Amino acid sequence: MNTADDSEGASRRWRPRAVAVGLAVLLLVLLLVPAVTTPRFLTLDNARAILASAAFVGITSVGATMVMIAGSGVSLATSQIATVVAMLFLGPQHLGLWTALLIALAAGIALSAAQGAVIGFWNADPIVLTIAGGFAIGGAATWFSGGSTVYPAARGFDVLNATPLGLPLAVYVLLAVTVLVEGTLRRTTAGRQMYLVGENRAAARAAGLPVGRVTVIAWAVSGACVALTGIFLASFHTSATVTLGGTLTLDAIAAVLVGGTAISGGHGSAVRTLGGAVLISVISDVLLLRGYSTGVQILVKGVLVLAVVVLVHVRATRGRR
Amino acid sequence: MFRTGSPGTALAAGTLALTLLTTACGGQAAAPPSGGASATSLSGKTIALVGYGNSNPWGAYFNKVFTERLAPTGVRVGDMTTMDPGTQVQKFNQAVAQKPDLIVTLILDTTAMAVPIKKATAAGIPVLAVDGPPDPGVADEVMSVLSDNEKLGEYAAQNIVEGLKAQGRDSGDIIVLTGTKSMLVTQHRMKGFAKVLATAPQYKVVEEQDANWDPQLSGTIAQQLLAKHGKDGVQAAYGMADYMALPIIQAAKQAGFAIGGKDGLIVTGGNCFKAGIDSIKAGELYGTATEDPGTIAEQTAAYVVRYLAGENPPRSETVREERVTAANVSRFAEQCSHA
Repeated sequence: MNTADDSEGASRRWRPRAVAVGLAVLLLVLLLVPAVTTPRFLTLDNARAILASAAFVGITSVGATMVMIAGSGVSLATSQIATVVAMLFLGPQHLGLWTALLIALAAGIALSAAQGAVIGFWNADPIVLTIAGGFAIGGAATWFSGGSTVYPAARGFDVLNATPLGLPLAVYVLLAVTVLVEGTLRRTTAGRQMYLVGENRAAARAAGLPVGRVTVIAWAVSGACVALTGIFLASFHTSATVTLGGTLTLDAIAAVLVGGTAISGGHGSAVRTLGGAVLISVISDVLLLRGYSTGVQILVKGVLVLAVVVLVHVRATRGRR
Repeated sequence: MFRTGSPGTALAAGTLALTLLTTACGGQAAAPPSGGASATSLSGKTIALVGYGNSNPWGAYFNKVFTERLAPTGVRVGDMTTMDPGTQVQKFNQAVAQKPDLIVTLILDTTAMAVPIKKATAAGIPVLAVDGPPDPGVADEVMSVLSDNEKLGEYAAQNIVEGLKAQGRDSGDIIVLTGTKSMLVTQHRMKGFAKVLATAPQYKVVEEQDANWDPQLSGTIAQQLLAKHGKDGVQAAYGMADYMALPIIQAAKQAGFAIGGKDGLIVTGGNCFKAGIDSIKAGELYGTATEDPGTIAEQTAAYVVRYLAGENPPRSETVREERVTAANVSRFAEQCSHA
């Protein structure tokens, strides 16, 4: 009897796993075949372009991974924070590059950590809070700038557009940020506590974990990453408008989800998010090389996110059984 | 939103207090500008400005100049601006309900705005379309002060042809990053662009991508297109606005392309901005074209004054556009430096 039960249990466990593996293989085949058969895809120049186009969103999404793992879901104020940081970076260029960098980083960390504090200490709903925060930050930026473009008085930021070994500096920063965030998540107490808080916030609180502090740290790191993106965006465009952040918010969320991080928290990794950002960039690149329009690229990105979310859900369901 | 009592309540109360304080301190009426205002008194007349929002630099400067020019006449301008097409339709319907003397609109979605415009004309409220044309189905029902978008496209092509010829090239491949393709503004510019390129068939467009007036998307698409075609595969690029052309230049520099000069990439823009003017002076952007917000705002304000004063201006006016290159950039530096 026991053997039969074990066999049935094992079968139940393996069914979702088989579905998950099957979906993952199908996804890879669907991606790899068009990629390798696309003219000019397998070139060094194209590889550089893929990494370069993944860098801005990648840096933000790696930081957002920490917020999602810590159970805070997503920030919907990312674009607005990046925009404000870009303005605060270019505005004081006359004070020198390092001063402008410090101001911009401090602003990004403060704006994000403040939201993290309200979520961590007062249990505010992250979605509602960041929608409100996004409106407030975007509105304040429009009010103070009068809608005008911010132009730098000096060009010290040009150094951030450098391309050591043929790759934009932002790509190296993306790799460094990924290593740092992954190291923090895996090897520090705060990082491990983020997984526990994300897995079950009530239980973590009952166990005496510093839920508020852990949440603030996650949001502060995320804010630093958004600030870095804002700084690179500003340097690339050499000016900053209220709309500079563009679709950064949703692009970053898509990269984190495609990387397989659970939106409910407790699972995920920065390295996988890096993979998600690069994967989205590869898909956009293949579609562009094959002559598909921007609309098709956005559609495919949406379908991919949906597929991965289903995949992650199937795996999570398996885990609960 | 808050699950705990007192801290949440305190925060909410604080937020409300801050909002009220901000509202009380801000929003004061702007003082009329000194000089340059029409002496015509149109006191008591009302306008609903259903235009581009202040979050867009072009829109912000248009709104500023338009409002300042009308302030001395006594016309009351209701600010119903936004950058969201759906919200614009709602605001237009609100404007119709308020029954102003004139609705001035800068249309974000021509198709979506057709029905609200019909409602306005049915209610006897005159509508003035500015910058981009309305849907052809309602074009006869509105007055207009329009940018000459076909001419702007022609100028962009002239810049590219001139730049490539100056480099001595007898052939050349061009990539184009357009504004939102569904917009008539974009379509008219491409019509003018294609018309001029047809006179120089040795130069041809190899890629045309919709970058949706988005600078970030423009940079990403440019990175990928430049990698796709390589240094020998692209000789020129058109970004439909300066803020789309400059990311092309940055992407090209990072990909190791030479820019401008005797054999570098020829890049042209449009909707002249200060950054574009600076880039022309630096020898990177080959050229741009006007469609600056200040000029069109001045002409629109003048049109409104004539209309409200009963002078029966022509049903449609077109703003004169200019081509800007290194040869004449100093003449347009001031005009193009407000957005």
